[in-house]
Amino acid sequence: MLGIDDPQIWLAYVLCFLSAVGCIIYGALKWNEGEEEEEC
Amino acid sequence: MAVSTPILGIAVLIYMMVVIYIGWIGYKQTKSTEDFMLAGRKVNPLVLALSYGAAFISTSAIVGFGGYAGAFGMGVLWLVFMNIFVGIFIAFVVFGARTRRLGVNLKAVTFPELIGRRFQSRFIQGFAGALITIFMPLYAGSVLIGGARFMETALNMDYNSAVLILAVIVAAYVITGGLIAVMYTDALQGALMFVGMAILFFLTYAKLGGVVEAHQALTNMAHMVPENLAAVGHTGWTSMPVFGSPTWWTLVSTIVLGVGIGVLAQPQLAVRFMTVKDTRSLNRAVLSGGPFIFMMAGVAYVVGALSNVYFLETRGMISLEAAGGNIDAIIPAYINSAMPDYFVIFFLLTLLAAAMSTLSSQFHTMGTAIGHDFYREFLMKGKLGHTISITKIGIAVTIVISVILAYILPFSIIARATAIFFGLCAAAFLPMYTGALFWKRMNKQGAIASLLVGTFTSLFWLTFVHAKEASALGISRALFGVDTILTGTWSVVDPILIATPLAFITAVVVSLATQPDPEDHVDKCFSSLNKSDRPA
Repeated sequence: MLGIDDPQIWLAYVLCFLSAVGCIIYGALKWNEGEEEEEC
Repeated sequence: MAVSTPILGIAVLIYMMVVIYIGWIGYKQTKSTEDFMLAGRKVNPLVLALSYGAAFISTSAIVGFGGYAGAFGMGVLWLVFMNIFVGIFIAFVVFGARTRRLGVNLKAVTFPELIGRRFQSRFIQGFAGALITIFMPLYAGSVLIGGARFMETALNMDYNSAVLILAVIVAAYVITGGLIAVMYTDALQGALMFVGMAILFFLTYAKLGGVVEAHQALTNMAHMVPENLAAVGHTGWTSMPVFGSPTWWTLVSTIVLGVGIGVLAQPQLAVRFMTVKDTRSLNRAVLSGGPFIFMMAGVAYVVGALSNVYFLETRGMISLEAAGGNIDAIIPAYINSAMPDYFVIFFLLTLLAAAMSTLSSQFHTMGTAIGHDFYREFLMKGKLGHTISITKIGIAVTIVISVILAYILPFSIIARATAIFFGLCAAAFLPMYTGALFWKRMNKQGAIASLLVGTFTSLFWLTFVHAKEASALGISRALFGVDTILTGTWSVVDPILIATPLAFITAVVVSLATQPDPEDHVDKCFSSLNKSDRPA
């Protein structure tokens, strides 16, 4: 896959992409969540 | 050098002026202690993400670990995955939200203070502050070496002057502008780094004929692994090292786990969670933080590994050979020969930005560790005294120590010193920090015990067992006549794998065996902690 034979490597490569995309999706979905009143 | 020094000099000058200008704005906006320590707790999410990432990724991550990928291949991509998943997602979503809330509940302004107040222990705060003061200069010194070596080769200047100039410029804006200046200059540097690495990513794949083609060419080079590296487990640049071989242990224990998990307990990074207004800012920061780390670490390691294909096609040799056997020279050698001139200038600025952003956050953390944690809370028992002045003097003193270290440490120390500091933080702080946030039953005794066990086990392992440091330090040889007191696989297992679990076990056992902390204090700490974790 992707010109890489060892699954332990292409898996890491794919996971890097997926985790970065996952962060984008998470941030977008939670964009307006967790707002709090002024404090301290 | 492919580019003319005057053009590069002008580019560096413009860049430095912008950085100093932002530092000056930070100085103007710093009015209170909280501004200086925590940037007023109202930092923008994008600034948080960029400054966290820029402080996290130093020159050593790009040049040091990128070079490691050039020599040992893509196995180090597991570290990228850890950096994004643990270093960003887990850090912001799981640790960040609670850290911020706890910081507000306890009115803590530094990482050691957060832990110290949670367990009502000035000892913890003072000890953690002292640990940072003693060991962070080693890490800062190595980042300084990376930055100064770059200025030496790129601007044709004397190495010693480069160290001094770099330290003075960073010191100037950290001391005057506090964390506001640090975070905003970091964000600018982060943006510069992002663009630089993105260009490098696309140019490299374009040059090698596409993603799959480039990888396939690298896979086909497996037979070219030098014999001495094959003997320690190297199997090729697109395959993992032989399971259990020395190369495998270094990759998995020191690099992937040590740096990958160690990041959670980095004081200069954890403190940033307390700089934002609410959990929403942390959620938003995840969006830009993940891709940012991918563009930094992911690109550096992929490009580092693929440089082998480039050097095979152009010079008929592997990267390590093209770089004269010096791992740290692989990335600069590739950039200089494969990239267009305009990009070489830009990339050198990227590296300078990476060094400066990490340095500034280290200097700030060391200064607050001395001035606030050690002087005010531990020595003065909470009396304000001359905290801000002592902090500023503290920053200056640690900078001087880092500069001295940069003069005396060997160049090859960069990646090692980074890994040592990350590992020590993981063992000393992670169990205590995790317990502080997630386990109400964890008490002061458990925290102190785990801090001491984590710290001293880690230092013991570095001095007497882990071959790389133990043989270099020579203390084991002086005392016992052997380089390491344990041999075989033990001597390649990183301290983090021994010290961190031991510190976790200590924390649990000692906490359960002693009286719980006062209930009203624990309630105060955890007040609305769960709410901010699961926003409505």
